Amino acid sequence: MQDDTMWGNIFRKEQKTEKSIYTVLENIPIFKDLSKKEIRAVERILHKRTYKANEVLFKEGDPGVGMYIIEQGHVNITLGPENKLLAVLSDGEFFGEIALLSETSRTATATAQTNCSILGFFQSDLFGLLETDPRMGNKILLRLAQMIGDRLRFSNIENQQLKLKLAKNEDKSGDKKVL
Amino acid sequence: MDITLGRFLRLLIAIILIAFIGWLFYSLSTIITILIISALMAYILDPIASYLEFRGLSRSQATIIIFLAFFIIIGVIGWLLVPGLFVELITLQNSLNLEDTAALSQNIKTFIAQNFSFINLENIDIDEKVGQLVTYITNELVFILTKLISVISYIVIVPFVVFFLLKDGRMMKKSFVQLIPNRYFEMILNVIHKTDQQLGWYLRGQFTEAFVVGLLSVIALWLLDVQYFIIIGVFAGFANLIPYVGPVAGAVPALVVTVVNGGSGLELVYIVIAFAIVQLIDNIVLQPLVLSKSVNLHPLVIVFAVLIGGQFFGVLGMLLAVPAAGILKVTSRELYTGIRKFNRL
Repeated sequence: MQDDTMWGNIFRKEQKTEKSIYTVLENIPIFKDLSKKEIRAVERILHKRTYKANEVLFKEGDPGVGMYIIEQGHVNITLGPENKLLAVLSDGEFFGEIALLSETSRTATATAQTNCSILGFFQSDLFGLLETDPRMGNKILLRLAQMIGDRLRFSNIENQQLKLKLAKNEDKSGDKKVL
Repeated sequence: MDITLGRFLRLLIAIILIAFIGWLFYSLSTIITILIISALMAYILDPIASYLEFRGLSRSQATIIIFLAFFIIIGVIGWLLVPGLFVELITLQNSLNLEDTAALSQNIKTFIAQNFSFINLENIDIDEKVGQLVTYITNELVFILTKLISVISYIVIVPFVVFFLLKDGRMMKKSFVQLIPNRYFEMILNVIHKTDQQLGWYLRGQFTEAFVVGLLSVIALWLLDVQYFIIIGVFAGFANLIPYVGPVAGAVPALVVTVVNGGSGLELVYIVIAFAIVQLIDNIVLQPLVLSKSVNLHPLVIVFAVLIGGQFFGVLGMLLAVPAAGILKVTSRELYTGIRKFNRL
């Protein structure tokens, strides 16, 4: 009887963690189009890693090799030598997805704020997927492209607004000079 | 003082560790050979498994299909070649069993008694001499048989290892990466990926080249009616893995066999021309296609690699030395650039 409860507990615990990874993945935009079976396949590919508080995930300037998904914990994204805090990311959030496409340097440093459990999805994994299961790989790629397109549009708008503001400011200073 | 002592101790431990690893490698050379061969085969078969996966099979199904195909091919080859060899060995062994020994020594005794009556048979222990001779030959046979058994164990173990490397290789790689500390994790992952890509090209190229050259040689030798054309052709294919020396080494056995069988000078010329044509096809058509020369090894490196391979692992080591040197070169180059790029250590 005691044994039963012990085993029961172990299984329950396992199911719980698996379910939490599943729900985390389900809500990641680039995996949105995937079926249940495909998400399970992604789950098998992902690298699960644990970081202690203050441990560095990657440094600014390192070559980017892939994206990270936070399963549990908080991660600080900082910039420059003075470690200017850009964002604090937590459960279910992700970062570094551009590195899935090209091996450009990391533009910021990621450090674990608390003890973290992180899932890594890397360029090599994506390329492997494109080779063995292109249908699934393409779904992820398409989502990735859409995300980047959205972001480009957003920064274009931001850019235009900034240009407008700049032009207004220049006009104002020009008016002042005339006066 | 403490620091220097500590350093000295650390150096000593490092030296002992390296020596130990060296010794371990040397004493486990057979197992390491099996592992290297299996890993190479799994590596070469990997794209086929990936292709089958792409066609909708699971990895396990893909592996099983590759193995079925492989066993059918091996089975056909075995069916054609092995029985002859076994029949010869068994006939030889049967003719040397102990019951016949007594008769054999009796025959010799009678022969001597009849023809050389002046020899005192009491002084020469014919029974013992004949016994010794037979024991010696039987021992040799047993030795040859144990060799054969070790070859068979290779034939059994290697596919077994290849099967699991092919089926679970990805999981193994993942489990290995899991063990790496966070600090080096990204770097090692990147290095493994880059090395994997380049080695994939290199090794598959090398073995495709060897396979095609082997096949062409077999066909050429068959057309020229050279004895043992299959074995010699296969050897020529493998020998082709060794640059410079390989092509020549591939042609020599064919020439020797022809000379021993009393072939004419013209036949020898034909064989040389055939091998030259195979090399020409290899250089002009195959090499640019398979890109196996993407890992440029210096001729001196090749020579020493072949010598070292031969020293430790025999003929097999000589054949596998160049791919092994290629693996070492690519891995260390990628590790070096990885360490520099990631600014670790």
